[in-house]
Amino acid sequence: MSPGLLILIILCTGIAGLVLGRRRALLRSESSGQRLHSLPMAYGQSVFLFATVPALLLVAVWLLLQPVFLEGRAAGMIPTSDIPAGSGIALLLDEARRIANGLPATAATLPSVIAAAQALNEGYESARLSLSIAALALALGGAIWAFLRIKPEARARNLVEQFILAMLMGASLIAILTTFAIVASLIFETVHFFQVYEARDFFLSLTWSPRFGGGSQLGLWPLLWGTLYISFIALLFAVPVGLMAAIYLSEYAGPRMRAVAKPLIEILAGIPTIVYGLFALITVGPLLRDYLAQPMGLGDSSSSVLTAGLVMGIMLIPFVSSLSDDIINAVPQSLRDGSYGLGATRSETIRQVVLPAALPGVVGAVLLAASRAIGETMIVVMGAGAAAKLDLNPFEAMTTITVKIVSQLTGDTEFASPETLVAFALGLTLFIFTLGLNILALVIVRKYREQYE
Amino acid sequence: MSTPSSLYVADPRSKARRRSESRFRLMGLGAVGLAVAALVFLLSSVLGNGLGAFRQGVITLDMTLDAAIIAPKGTDPEALQKVTTIAYKRLLDRELAQDLAAKGLSTEGLSDKAIAGLLSQEAPAVLRRMVLADPALIGQPIRFEALANGRVDGFLKGRVTMESAKLDSNISPEQLTLATVMRDAGMLNLSFNPSFLTAPDASELRPEAAGLGVAILGSAYMMLIVLCISVPLGVAASIYLEEFAPQNRLTDLIEVNISNLAAVPSIVFGILGLAIFINFAGLPQSAPIVGGLVLTLMTLPTIIISTRAALKAVPPSIRDAALGVGASKMQAIFHHVLPLAMPGILTGTIIGLAQALGETAPLLLIGMVAFVRDYPAAPPEGFFDPASALPVQVYNWTTRADPAFMERASGAIIVLLLFLIVMNAIAILLRRRFERRW
Amino acid sequence: MKDMRIAERTVDSQTSKMIARGVQVHYGTTHALKDVDVDILDKTVTAFIGPSGCGKSTFLRCLNRMNDTVASARVTGRIELDGEDIYDRRVDPVQLRARVGMVFQKPNPFPKSIYDNVAYGPRIHGLARGKAELDEIVEKSLRKAAIWNEVKDRLNAPGTGLSGGQQQRLCIARAIATSPEVLLMDEPCSALDPIATAQVEELIDELRGQFSVVIVTHSMQQAARVSQRTAFFHLGNLVEYGETGQIFTNPTDPRTESYITGRIG
Repeated sequence: MSPGLLILIILCTGIAGLVLGRRRALLRSESSGQRLHSLPMAYGQSVFLFATVPALLLVAVWLLLQPVFLEGRAAGMIPTSDIPAGSGIALLLDEARRIANGLPATAATLPSVIAAAQALNEGYESARLSLSIAALALALGGAIWAFLRIKPEARARNLVEQFILAMLMGASLIAILTTFAIVASLIFETVHFFQVYEARDFFLSLTWSPRFGGGSQLGLWPLLWGTLYISFIALLFAVPVGLMAAIYLSEYAGPRMRAVAKPLIEILAGIPTIVYGLFALITVGPLLRDYLAQPMGLGDSSSSVLTAGLVMGIMLIPFVSSLSDDIINAVPQSLRDGSYGLGATRSETIRQVVLPAALPGVVGAVLLAASRAIGETMIVVMGAGAAAKLDLNPFEAMTTITVKIVSQLTGDTEFASPETLVAFALGLTLFIFTLGLNILALVIVRKYREQYE
Repeated sequence: MSTPSSLYVADPRSKARRRSESRFRLMGLGAVGLAVAALVFLLSSVLGNGLGAFRQGVITLDMTLDAAIIAPKGTDPEALQKVTTIAYKRLLDRELAQDLAAKGLSTEGLSDKAIAGLLSQEAPAVLRRMVLADPALIGQPIRFEALANGRVDGFLKGRVTMESAKLDSNISPEQLTLATVMRDAGMLNLSFNPSFLTAPDASELRPEAAGLGVAILGSAYMMLIVLCISVPLGVAASIYLEEFAPQNRLTDLIEVNISNLAAVPSIVFGILGLAIFINFAGLPQSAPIVGGLVLTLMTLPTIIISTRAALKAVPPSIRDAALGVGASKMQAIFHHVLPLAMPGILTGTIIGLAQALGETAPLLLIGMVAFVRDYPAAPPEGFFDPASALPVQVYNWTTRADPAFMERASGAIIVLLLFLIVMNAIAILLRRRFERRW
Repeated sequence: MKDMRIAERTVDSQTSKMIARGVQVHYGTTHALKDVDVDILDKTVTAFIGPSGCGKSTFLRCLNRMNDTVASARVTGRIELDGEDIYDRRVDPVQLRARVGMVFQKPNPFPKSIYDNVAYGPRIHGLARGKAELDEIVEKSLRKAAIWNEVKDRLNAPGTGLSGGQQQRLCIARAIATSPEVLLMDEPCSALDPIATAQVEELIDELRGQFSVVIVTHSMQQAARVSQRTAFFHLGNLVEYGETGQIFTNPTDPRTESYITGRIG
């Protein structure tokens, strides 16, 4: 039976349990003359929960895990001698999976692959059957168990609430689970990568040149350089503009100006990065090339560090300005009064009292913005180019970690090759970088806020 | 300073300070102006490039659906199915030539193939679908608006010029001269192009036929998945953390995790989707289910953060009142607190969905960038069919060589932004309508 | 009340440092101060007393145009410093505040070193020509504020690290470092313990030798101790203004009497 049907049957069992459980509670209370501890509905709900939740969890976990077991078994059926040189078993397994899904085998298909495909097919059939039996048994078992426990004195509401509390807690654990899944998937494949590629070369090599035939050089440095260079330009643009805009809007602008300009700047934050990417690609890039790079003889590529950096800077303006706004507003008015009372002008007060007082917060905001810039993908994919090089000319196309993650994982190379797996090592690098920046920024900002609370 | 000067006269130092004050003020104004100018420039560039996608060059043909060509073996559906677009193309080419001759438009110096080249390669397929849908049309005279070739369309919109045509192997200046004549005769014009919103993607060579149908459907499916999973999960997690969680290490760990997840680069979620959902759990590539799950994980922190804020905004007196009449804590929350927090939760949800709708990078990694021409089936089976997504379709089009696709990409952005504006407007309205000061 | 005003105007204008006539203040739609006439005498301590919300702090903030920083505040009437209207269009409030300094209710040292706190005013007004001169101003101000001995060994320590009373004296040092002609003090002791209060009061008495001090206070005892002249505000009106001794021993207005004897407050 298909999973959808199975889930439907489990839910029906639950609803039947709900109705019957409620009836049973009422009947038993009537026959024994005892008052029910909880509302009749609570007894029905307890049956519903015990019938559906464990069974549905089983279905979910089973569906998630069954390919792993079945494919592991199928992989065991393909002898190592059948694996073509220079490639992994993943390609053959892919083929087996396709055949199992009903695509015809070609003449070149190895017999062991066909056998593995058959095993997969049979495995899925039998797994589906056993899942159906197990899940239905669990649903019925839970329903009957809860049903039999219905007595007027049973604390059904408390039971239901305990159950719901457990579910609420389970939901909040998703956050941990997600982090764990991210870290696990990154580390797992990164270890794979370092098995097929020297870790030292990855961290120390200054060249990035993946080749299909093997012998790739996958050095991190050119990508890291491009990432940092572009992020630096973005921050160079966004931090002064964002900060000054925040200062102007919170210290100078009248209410009407604020009411207009603030939402306008916030619109920038709501625009998806793909829009910025397109803006870089069709407008900013050609503009910079035609009016700056070519007249100065600095290059004739429309995708460049400056293009990506500038557009990313625009993207970061609202981010920097709203963070700075919060931080500037957290500086107590008494400090401003103190400064005005001594005869300082507004700008003197801002530069010499407010900003120094807000400095830790502003640093935190800049770090958060830097983390955003480093992890940004679409703008650099569309605006920075794909050439990995260590260069200083901002009009040259360069590339970043995120660009290479995309290009290595969307190409047609085989999954187990170092050229693909390197994306996971890059992803891990990126994750550690941004995580470190975020934590540092949060610590600084939190300390700063405590200072004025 | 022992001799106080008049207040009415600014001493040189005060003058200098006043100048520096107004310089600073101007810098601030400049920063605000720069930010607003960037926004205006960005939007006008996208609008300027993209509005053309909503209008398409069409050649109006008065023609007869000649049964001899398109229904040589009778008009029963099976026989009609066997007639390929090649036959329809022949018919169209012939009708175009006849129409031109009938209107007395000169085609001097142009081969039949060159004249036929003004039509889109997609036009026969459109005509074929029309006939298959309504076989009664066969043998009837109809007025058919055939898609013009992408270059002709570009010529009408000013993207293609006589000069560029000289260097172009796909179009010649002579063909454009004919196009000019046809335009003047009213045969060729720009008309509103609804199929941009409904048609599926088209191949490299037919930018004029490419549409957003599959992408919009794919995005809608993913939003549905995000909505169905992330709202219950996010609200449940928030209720636990805000109302029940004890102050312990586990709670701290969860909170730190949520705030960090909100700042993890989106592309890392794509890697997670690829590694866990596709490689580990064996879900299909390019499927809305995988995209939906990845976007769910990305949206969850947003929803949790806004839901917690909404719960926090409900004053404790409400909880006390419910507890005071003998409700259990769970009842107090589900009967009283949650309904009061609902507008805030909805607002946060819509904003989270809007973010998810525009997200591109993670979807590239899970294969949604693939070329998909078939509409996915209805859900839930359709969740597992390959599909595209609006922002990914934009990216996809920008990687193609023909500049006509840039117009399409900008047009798709306009559609995407419209969706976002509507969603955000709903969120703002909700906030205005239900905002409550305690 | 009318009589009192007439008496007021007979004060010798030679010794009047600041003169306020018909001052009204509106915050949005609230009428916070109604038609106040006051003369601030040179080298005198003037106390403003009255119940909370009576407008005494509002009036104080008019004297150096600190109300300019509140967007909703509107001040009308005439206030003169040495015969010049401080609300004249030509007047730069920044220049005015260099001459009319202010100390606030809550000590508000900048998050900088003690030295930089005191040097802030002289620096922005360009009062010192070199490091040595600045050092001298800082030391003189700290000495005048009676805090020099406590901080002379840690001038580079942050001003926020001092105790409440020290912080307030630091703020006073900061205010007198710009050599103001009038020093406005807005309940300078309300956040301090009795010992620190006594120190500050002593200080105020010493400062009187160099310039006018205007102090807003909640405490009638304090007003009696430190001031020579006292103004009583009630519900935005100036009820009575005169010699401190006379106000406290023989008030002419029944409201003043009620307040002093503790019947309203």
